[in-house]
Amino acid sequence: MASVKLTKVKKIYDNKVVAVHDFDLEIKDKEFVVFVGPSGCGKSTTLRMIAGLEEISEGTVEINGEVVNDLQPKDRGIAMVFQNYALYPHMTVYDNIAFSLRLKKVPEDVVYEKVTNAAKVLGITEYLMRKPRALSGGQRQRVAIGRAMVRDSNVFLMDEPLSNLDAKLRNQMRAEIILLREKLDTTFIYVTHDQTEAMTLGDRIVIMKDGYIMQVGTPTEVFEMPQNLFVAEFIGAPKMNIIKTELLQEGGEYYVTPFGAKFQVNDIKGEMLKKKAVKPGEILLGVRPEHISLAKPGEEGIDCKLVVNEMMGSELHLHVETEDGSSLIVRIPTVDLEDEERASLVAGCQLRIKFGGKVMHFFDPESEENLLTDKA
Amino acid sequence: MEQKRHMGLKTLNRVSNTAIYILLIIISVVWLIPFVFILLQSFRVESTYQVGYVIPHEWGWQNYLNLWNSDFKRWYLNTFIIALASAVLITIIQLCMSYTLSRFRFKMRAGLMRFMLILGMFPGMLTMIILYRVLSDLGLTQANAVPGLILVGVASSGMGYYVSKGFFDTIPKSLDEAARVDGATRFQVLYKIILPLSKPIVIYTILTAFMGPWGDYVFARYVAFGTSAGYNVAVGMYSWLTNDQIARMYTTFCAGGVIVALPVTILFLCLQKYYVEGVTGGAVKG
Repeated sequence: MASVKLTKVKKIYDNKVVAVHDFDLEIKDKEFVVFVGPSGCGKSTTLRMIAGLEEISEGTVEINGEVVNDLQPKDRGIAMVFQNYALYPHMTVYDNIAFSLRLKKVPEDVVYEKVTNAAKVLGITEYLMRKPRALSGGQRQRVAIGRAMVRDSNVFLMDEPLSNLDAKLRNQMRAEIILLREKLDTTFIYVTHDQTEAMTLGDRIVIMKDGYIMQVGTPTEVFEMPQNLFVAEFIGAPKMNIIKTELLQEGGEYYVTPFGAKFQVNDIKGEMLKKKAVKPGEILLGVRPEHISLAKPGEEGIDCKLVVNEMMGSELHLHVETEDGSSLIVRIPTVDLEDEERASLVAGCQLRIKFGGKVMHFFDPESEENLLTDKA
Repeated sequence: MEQKRHMGLKTLNRVSNTAIYILLIIISVVWLIPFVFILLQSFRVESTYQVGYVIPHEWGWQNYLNLWNSDFKRWYLNTFIIALASAVLITIIQLCMSYTLSRFRFKMRAGLMRFMLILGMFPGMLTMIILYRVLSDLGLTQANAVPGLILVGVASSGMGYYVSKGFFDTIPKSLDEAARVDGATRFQVLYKIILPLSKPIVIYTILTAFMGPWGDYVFARYVAFGTSAGYNVAVGMYSWLTNDQIARMYTTFCAGGVIVALPVTILFLCLQKYYVEGVTGGAVKG
């Protein structure tokens, strides 16, 4: 079991491109940490530096308190699962899983025991004598995980392990990884570009952009209190609506005035704004699509026109356009709608939408930082 | 109507296939004529000189016995040693070079590859005189031509990296990385992962490395320079084709030709299946 600590880790490529800037992170023993971000944000590079597959330009990586910068991948006590599985195509599944053990000259009976155990856990016992080419994508990924499992490593690294699978299989494998984590009870570092994977798997999520950490936090933290506009838009699907608006303070209460409507900020958020001594003025207001609802007749709300109605099964995604031409997305659970109401939601119809003060996020229009959080 | 068109297509296919097969048969017959001719001549025992017919009047092993009793054994052994040693050494050097250029990133890597490619465009003949001087100073000419020729063949072999490098480039790097995480050294990655996946290219390298010295004439003649003990088969047998020898040695020469062709033919027959083996299937997502 192991903790991992990265201190001021930097990656500069030969062409002077800086892929990762001063990366600081402490991963506790048995923690499941997910690096997430758009492509090119440096998440895989950071993982590969921990694995020892990429040289560390500056800073230190420690595993269990030992600086591993100059250690070979095999000496770092890590196991890794690759995006494209990286199975040895000329070997059977058994030989693939046994490869690392045989290199360590482990006695063949111990190899047999470990390989068959791993295969049993992963449900691939019947494929042990097959070559990788005779397996499906999901089975190959299981073999890759099995290969990492038998190494009894301290840290389990996974580089986008599910992104080559189709959506259905991805959901299934995601659940299996959660179960696997319980069985292995070891430290996991998982890289993905998919925020759903990050939210469902991680104890903590590290959101990255252009080589910088944007926020580190639990799924709830990054969802409910995004550090900045980037995190706010990246986490959550469909992404958060961002509205340029005015923050008002009247009689000690805060109000926002998106598109001519006036909504009061609720007590909790209002207190936070007061505590931070946020001055009234122009802000970027963030509201998640699921926190917007249809206003009842006579209620305060924003008038808009329905452009597209996407039926997702359990919910509707309404793409609406306000009077000044801004686009917003609204997510309405279908169970909340009467049949007539639902039938009336056709492209071109007029709607009035509203949102409560509890679910608002306030960002500085200049720095794009959340006005309610402490600076990272 | 539909059926008629279907029949028409079938007939057309049959006609074009027949035409193609006839053409291929003609080409292979033309191709085989010289080999069959030499094989038949090697069994002709009624005379030893060139004749105006193909099928021998009298058949026998006499020409092969003549070979056994001549310097041919020595030449054959010389050639075999040169070709085998070159094949082993060239293959090792060339594959290591290709692996290095395919997998390692170092300064001037691209420059080095370009430099070697350009250098390789100059005909080897240009270096003959200076190479002879070097070999001569090292005492590796004439009777010692065998180690001399191995040295010459092996010395520049790294420059033939591009075919195998191109093949190695197609093997996903994540396989190397997975193996390194699994505990393999760079060398173990090469011989446990890359080489088994590169069987066709390894075989190709061995074959070309073997064939070069096996059929070498110009350089071998130059280095051995009039000393029979240092001849290879090509140089030795050519000495039978001089005006005063040809009438006596022509059929023996043909027998020699058959013996020379044998190992190469066997090698090709045994190894050709690797050319068509697609081994990387299933390596990565597919």
